[in-house]
Amino acid sequence: MTRSFLLTLSLIAAVAVTASAGTIEGTVSPGKSSVVYVDTIQGKTFPAPSQQPVMDQKGLMFSPHVMVVQVGTTVEFLNSDNVQHNVFWPSISGNKKLGHNLGTWPKGDKRPFKFDNVGVVSLLCNVHPEMAGYIVVSSTPYFAETDASGNYKIENVPDGKYNVVAWHEGMKPLTKSVDVSGTGKADFTLSK
Amino acid sequence: MRGLSFRASKGFLPLLVLILLIVSSRQSLAIPAFSRLYGTSCSTCHIDFPKLNDFGKAFKDAGFKFPKDDESMLKIPPVMLGAPANAELWPKAIWPGTIPGIPPIGLRMNNYFQYTGTSSGKFAALTPAGTLPPFVPTTDFETGFFSIFTAGNFGSDIAFWVDDDISVSGANAVGELGDGYLRFVNIGRLIKLPKNSLNFRVGQFELELPFTQARSIWISPYDIYTQANIGAMNSLVPLQQFVNNDFQMADVGKGVEFSGGLHTGGYNYSIAIIDQNTGPIGQDQNPGSPYIPQATGSNNGGVGVASNADFKDIYASFNYRFNLEHDKESREAIQAAGPTGPRDHTYLNFGTYYFYGRSVQRLLGATVDNTSSLVTAREPFYRVGGNMTFNYRCCLQFNALYMFGHDMNLLPIDSTGALIPLQNLSSAVPVGFIRSTPATFSGGFVDAEWLAYPWMYVMIRYDGVNSTADRINGLQTNPSFTGAPFNGPFSSTRNRITPGVQFLIHANIKASFEYQFRPSQTVVIATNPVTGLPMAFNPFHTNTAVAGLEWVY
Repeated sequence: MTRSFLLTLSLIAAVAVTASAGTIEGTVSPGKSSVVYVDTIQGKTFPAPSQQPVMDQKGLMFSPHVMVVQVGTTVEFLNSDNVQHNVFWPSISGNKKLGHNLGTWPKGDKRPFKFDNVGVVSLLCNVHPEMAGYIVVSSTPYFAETDASGNYKIENVPDGKYNVVAWHEGMKPLTKSVDVSGTGKADFTLSK
Repeated sequence: MRGLSFRASKGFLPLLVLILLIVSSRQSLAIPAFSRLYGTSCSTCHIDFPKLNDFGKAFKDAGFKFPKDDESMLKIPPVMLGAPANAELWPKAIWPGTIPGIPPIGLRMNNYFQYTGTSSGKFAALTPAGTLPPFVPTTDFETGFFSIFTAGNFGSDIAFWVDDDISVSGANAVGELGDGYLRFVNIGRLIKLPKNSLNFRVGQFELELPFTQARSIWISPYDIYTQANIGAMNSLVPLQQFVNNDFQMADVGKGVEFSGGLHTGGYNYSIAIIDQNTGPIGQDQNPGSPYIPQATGSNNGGVGVASNADFKDIYASFNYRFNLEHDKESREAIQAAGPTGPRDHTYLNFGTYYFYGRSVQRLLGATVDNTSSLVTAREPFYRVGGNMTFNYRCCLQFNALYMFGHDMNLLPIDSTGALIPLQNLSSAVPVGFIRSTPATFSGGFVDAEWLAYPWMYVMIRYDGVNSTADRINGLQTNPSFTGAPFNGPFSSTRNRITPGVQFLIHANIKASFEYQFRPSQTVVIATNPVTGLPMAFNPFHTNTAVAGLEWVY
């Protein structure tokens, strides 16, 4: 009897949580490879994810070109080319003290780095200056990348009022306040 | 004699010669087409274009392609000249091959500004009475090259390169082909030789010099590479030499080359067999001769002949490079793995080179029985020397090269066996030659090149060329002085210190500045009243500042 009661209570609680977890969606112009994320929520912290995404260097390019991760994430940097590469970033969102150089490693090897600071990381290779990649480090787990048409959808966002930031390479980031009550909608038109 | 008059004419416009030396120092450049094909920056292969970094050397060694996984690096895939399945029909052939996906063409343009100090009016004393002295402007704008170049790989390790100066100094009439060759990479595999031990090149190419002049970052040419060996010809100086060898190490050669090894570590060698053409005017300047068979003067070019003798000159070089990285894996890689990224190796390179040729001079003479005959002086010559480079990582390099030049000196004799004074050669009848004191010179250069920033190169170089013949030819012993006046009057000749700095405005736009300090010189020799020896009167320096702006695209 007690077990049944607890199970029922859990189901009700789960339904209640699901009901309060909404989405934020919209479009970003320009479209592809834009990032949208919920900015820092005062008084709220999130556990670092255990997944370690891979930023590859292949064919003299960073792949993916843009990656968005939650702060505290460890990114694996892989060299898939038969030439030597390097990864460094001169700053994170302009803060040069956070610049870092990962050095050199051979084909097939990975080198991890944990991003503990929020901001935009401009990845460069000091032997192939044309190579560029970006890691956007978000303070929240609520983020998304746009598809080819510029559409995005951030899921599992609790109801509330948030500052939502849109970012695109070479554009000025744009912040909008969004009320999420089941769903929230925000379209962005970024400019240089 | 044609040769004598040619030498005489060379002395009258010394600064023009200087300018020509500066702007005619052939500098084949990086290939922007590679940037397009691979979607990569110039700095992938160049430190400061056209100077290659270690990866660029490996790229060139491999036949203008990435040493590994070239296909996966190409952003513009090559065009197949036949389905790959054709290769199954003839598995040991390399037919049908590929061509680059876009025409691999690059263009280059440069401009110069030159400031020449002190010399204005100084050479007036050299001109005979009644003739206008040369005027040398202190400042001068000068256009350099407008060049087109193309290079790439046809697949199956067959590489090609062509560069041609469409115009030089704004005049398209003097443009010329630089290098134009096919290079068969690693053909040693066909006879089971170790990898990279044998390549074959055919066409026209700069010799595999220890330090390339054609792809040097210096505006100022290496003086030793432009040293011809003209024997002592000053008729008022007793020692006379019948040596008229216009060969310069910087000259391109037409022929074939066998080479091997790598330029990124270990040994490399080159053995080239090229046409001989050491005269002031090559036979190729005389097309349309009725004595040239049609097979040579074909409808696909090749009009005339390029040699002035049957002999083929031989060039050989050998280098060994010691990479000094501690870590073995890094030491043997194309680039070293530095803590902040891959970079050039720290290395020490030693090399030696040798050139053997025969200079030919033909005179209208007679046999001993007084029958009119062509008499030919075949004067073997050689150039030999060594070179050294110490390179510290990306940024600092010291280079040194030494060369010794030696030409056999055959003096014409008449039917009595007596020497014919060279100033009387046009009126005498030579029947043969006897060997005399050889004409020699020596010299070289040392330089230091420092990459202060990825966009800024700081350099300094010392050039020295010591030629007794040049000094004698340059002595003012009569009013019709005909020598090159940039020689030191009493000691060695053509010494120069040249500091320079270069800025990469863009990866493909470069501003260069060099200042050439020359030794004290004079055009007037007086007699020291105390010692009775000749002394320089009113000596001066002719220093030159050159600013260059060049771009490739």
